[in-house]
Amino acid sequence: MKDINRRDFLKTAAIGVSMSVFGTKFLKASDESPSGYRIGILVDTDVCVGCRHCEWACKVAHNIPTASLESYSDNSLFKEYRRLDAASLTVVNEFENEKNPSLPVYVKKQCMHCEKPACVSACIVGALSKLEDGSVVWDTKKCIGCRYCMVACQFQIPTFDYDKPIDPQIRKCDLCYDRRKTEKLPACVSICPTEALLFGERDEILRVAKNRIKRKPDVYINHIYGEQEIGGTTWMYIASKSFDNLKMPPLGNSPAPGTSESIQHGIFAYFVPPVTLYAILGTIMWLTKRRSNENKENRIEFEQEKKGVDT
Amino acid sequence: MISRQIKHKFFTPWIFVLTILALNGLVFLAIRFIYGLGAVTNLDNYTPWGLWIGVDVAAGVALAAGGFTSAALVHIMHREYYKAIVRPALFTAMLGYTFVALAVVVDIGRFYYVWHPIVMWNGNSALFEVGICIIVYMIVLYIEFIPIVTERFINKINFHGLLTFLNKPVNGLLKYLDKKLSLTMFIFIIAGVVLSTLHQSSLGTLMVIAGQKMHPLWQTPILPLLFLLSAIAVGFPMIICESLIASRSFNLKPEIKTLSKLGFMIAPIIGIYLAFKIGDMFIRETFRYVLLFDSAAWMFIAEMVLMFVPFILFLSKKIVNSMSGIFIASVFVISGVLLNRINNFIVAYNPFFNPVKYFPSFGEISITLGFVALLVIVYRAFVMIFPIIPQENNNSNQNIAESGNTKSKKWI
Amino acid sequence: MIFCILAISILFSQRVTHNYSGAGEEQVGRDIKIKPLKNHLNTSLKCKTCHISEYPTLKDPGLMSCPRHSMYGEFPSSEEGPEVVVIDEMSENYTGVVFYHRLHSEMSEMGVGCTDCHHFNTSGPVINCRECHSNVRYRENVSVPDLKAAFHRQCISCHKQWSHENGCSSQCHLYNTPENQKNLTKDLTGKKHPKRTEPTKIIYEINCEYGNKVTFYHDEHVNLFRIECVQCHSSDRCVKCHDKKIKLSDNSKTAKIEKSFEEHHKPCFNCHKENACQKCHAGKEMARFNHGKSTGWILKSYHNRLSCMKCHKNQMPVKRLDRNCNTCHKDFVYGKFDHNKTGLFLSDSHKNIECINCHDKNDFTKNPECKMCHNDKFHPAHLPGKKRY
Repeated sequence: MKDINRRDFLKTAAIGVSMSVFGTKFLKASDESPSGYRIGILVDTDVCVGCRHCEWACKVAHNIPTASLESYSDNSLFKEYRRLDAASLTVVNEFENEKNPSLPVYVKKQCMHCEKPACVSACIVGALSKLEDGSVVWDTKKCIGCRYCMVACQFQIPTFDYDKPIDPQIRKCDLCYDRRKTEKLPACVSICPTEALLFGERDEILRVAKNRIKRKPDVYINHIYGEQEIGGTTWMYIASKSFDNLKMPPLGNSPAPGTSESIQHGIFAYFVPPVTLYAILGTIMWLTKRRSNENKENRIEFEQEKKGVDT
Repeated sequence: MISRQIKHKFFTPWIFVLTILALNGLVFLAIRFIYGLGAVTNLDNYTPWGLWIGVDVAAGVALAAGGFTSAALVHIMHREYYKAIVRPALFTAMLGYTFVALAVVVDIGRFYYVWHPIVMWNGNSALFEVGICIIVYMIVLYIEFIPIVTERFINKINFHGLLTFLNKPVNGLLKYLDKKLSLTMFIFIIAGVVLSTLHQSSLGTLMVIAGQKMHPLWQTPILPLLFLLSAIAVGFPMIICESLIASRSFNLKPEIKTLSKLGFMIAPIIGIYLAFKIGDMFIRETFRYVLLFDSAAWMFIAEMVLMFVPFILFLSKKIVNSMSGIFIASVFVISGVLLNRINNFIVAYNPFFNPVKYFPSFGEISITLGFVALLVIVYRAFVMIFPIIPQENNNSNQNIAESGNTKSKKWI
Repeated sequence: MIFCILAISILFSQRVTHNYSGAGEEQVGRDIKIKPLKNHLNTSLKCKTCHISEYPTLKDPGLMSCPRHSMYGEFPSSEEGPEVVVIDEMSENYTGVVFYHRLHSEMSEMGVGCTDCHHFNTSGPVINCRECHSNVRYRENVSVPDLKAAFHRQCISCHKQWSHENGCSSQCHLYNTPENQKNLTKDLTGKKHPKRTEPTKIIYEINCEYGNKVTFYHDEHVNLFRIECVQCHSSDRCVKCHDKKIKLSDNSKTAKIEKSFEEHHKPCFNCHKENACQKCHAGKEMARFNHGKSTGWILKSYHNRLSCMKCHKNQMPVKRLDRNCNTCHKDFVYGKFDHNKTGLFLSDSHKNIECINCHDKNDFTKNPECKMCHNDKFHPAHLPGKKRY
């Protein structure tokens, strides 16, 4: 079912692209080509032990109240699948390992920091922005809380404080923007005991990921999730089983905001289409008005028309 | 036929019911602003948009399309014959967009920043375009409404007590506005049509970015076109429906002849819309999802039936010329478009991870109904204050005879 | 004696502790001091295992950064290695670790050996982890894990099921004072891994079309065929033995590893032909290896006492040898041959008879015949001399 969906969506995207032929070279977020240093983070699910220290570190780094680190060794939490919420910007979930049931697969979830982020394209006020290094951050001073970013995000990452009447926030991983200002690694990367989260330059990280798959072909499936998905992401995953079974959405390779931006820029190409429409309507108005004035001069016709109206 | 204020009793049992609905909505509105969105809505992190965006905003904007379709017909095409419908349509649009704006304020989490899009721009965002267009169009609608205000109040300003000194300057201002606007109104009229075209279509673009989260039956890159066509299609039926209800409510003679003539224009528009919709379905081969006959498929079928039946009805001369026939056909179109918006924004939105399928909460429905009730009440109040609804000439009130529609310099 | 070991171990641990507490300097691209293996040209290693460059020289050996398990190394035995190592520098949220090296090295000897952890070592002293693994996580070269990760990955290769309370902090990160550390070191000293019992015979009951029983004589493979433990147990982890003790949050699952067909048969296929299923799979328990039955060459007297390798050399799988005596006995040639070597000392009357008189057509694989001279005598009832051994 999902597979069929993807094919449809690709077809959809193809039509969208053909539509964009009518658009112009107006700068689109989805067109910006990655340049310079781009962060990449590799999640090696084979190395992750599910200690959830990243969750703890993340909360501490973002001033979210949290219990002590010791309490995080409670494994019963893994029984149900957890998602992000306003108080947790990252969560680790446990998945069954068919090869060895006693050693489950752990998958960390957080914002993927897309190369071509749909949320940035969608945000009505530009509160979300993609920085040079590839991280996607949110500006509390701009956001109006419309939650369109949540609609747009293919990974369903941004969350919202539904229970706060004043200053509710859109929350998602910001790759520890504040920590990185002081040349520190993101909190989760820094605390990970096994470096299951490998932080580096994206190209270098990709190379390492490919090497690991090559070296252990019996362990990893030959797929780096995030290398190509919706135009590539900052966070990438390698795993021993299909990502569909790890609740990672099966996504195509075309950027999420591509079609929508093509349409948008088609409609608004340098304001040419709206202005043209305005001119056309004005012309029609002028032409028809002249005709109706001519009609008015023709008394008989006018009388007839008036008669028609009155009765 | 001249538009005049209605002389009729304001309170009826229906108004009482509507007031209760509005008050009920107000209670939930208070809860929403005191305890936050979570306390009232069924929205969650997987379904961020619900009834308020789908119905209050998207359907609201679509159903207010009568404003720009009638303006295009009468002022741009110069079909003066239909002039009578312009004022009610314009007023409905103005009121509709005002309530859309209010619904947006209620829905967004940081409502006090609702003005941000005016200064903070993101040209890539479809929502930004919708937002800015709605804001500008609302201003245009208010400007277009000014002649009605001036018509009503010029030389009739009568403040009492301390404010007496204001009478003269306000009257002067009204006169000035009336004079200037009659010269420049065409700019605003064309602008209104252009703005409507833009944001009606962009409302469709909104959901394109959701990609695979949208059911393939609805997810298509021609969504903006479909939205625009359906909005144009629902414009006249909305005017017809409204006019017939108003006539009934105020014991006026319905202008069935004008409305029927309007009705003949509807079938081709629906036809074009259906052609695109069905064509798109076959090009993308999505008909196989219809054949699954699951809940989404049934909603799609319902939507198509609600548009297809009036297409047939409006083709029949007999039905269009009969009052009940044209009313029923119009109601079909309206519910078809309403369901289309609900489908697009709520039913079709089905993300990869969605443990609880969204259904609007009682609070959400209450607030939506409250808004609708309030809108009807305000409509009724306004048509009694301002010359909006056209009436037969024979029991004319001579006060406004001079500003009748025979003078071609008068726009609205 | 115990005091002596304690003193040495503390000394050792102090030294190692000192080594690890270096500042967080940049270590990327640092030269690693490696001496080439002695006579490594004569080993069976492939050049590409260690060298990237086509023509390695002593100055520029062009070594691969980390060949891991294909690496060849020389290591001291577990007794020679340190008894206790203290690792305490990498800890941010943990206290330091008193690592009982001897116990782990003993365990590793059951499987892969030292290379399981010390996966990069050519010769000379064992290379410090820090030589390759930077203790700074924010670094340029990320192809090699940082020090913290390197340590923990070694732990989790066996202790993956540990959690903060249940394992990490109760087994490793225990001490927080030097006093405490001393006590811990004392506690650990002298501990040994219990001697593992090797099975003699394992009968696998499986569901297989070729027969649902596989009889595996472990002692034969170890003692007779001289197969090294690593050859089969290279990918085995502690959980292979310790599965019953390891418990998950819900106790229903055990650590039994479900292996694929390939994984199951990989050790067998090293020697046995892949298509000879019936050799192992049978409907009933199979008998032990019998040279006569399996090959048709019954080993008698002298040959019976030899180890397999004596004739089959160091080849695994063993190659079928031809039955000519000359293949092994190079001195069994005409003129040089001394019949006494076969164990049969010929009587004086037979000593000078031509070989062909008894061994028909000079075929020494067949039994000799007496009919050329004697009508009433037969081999082996009547021997032409005395058997000595």
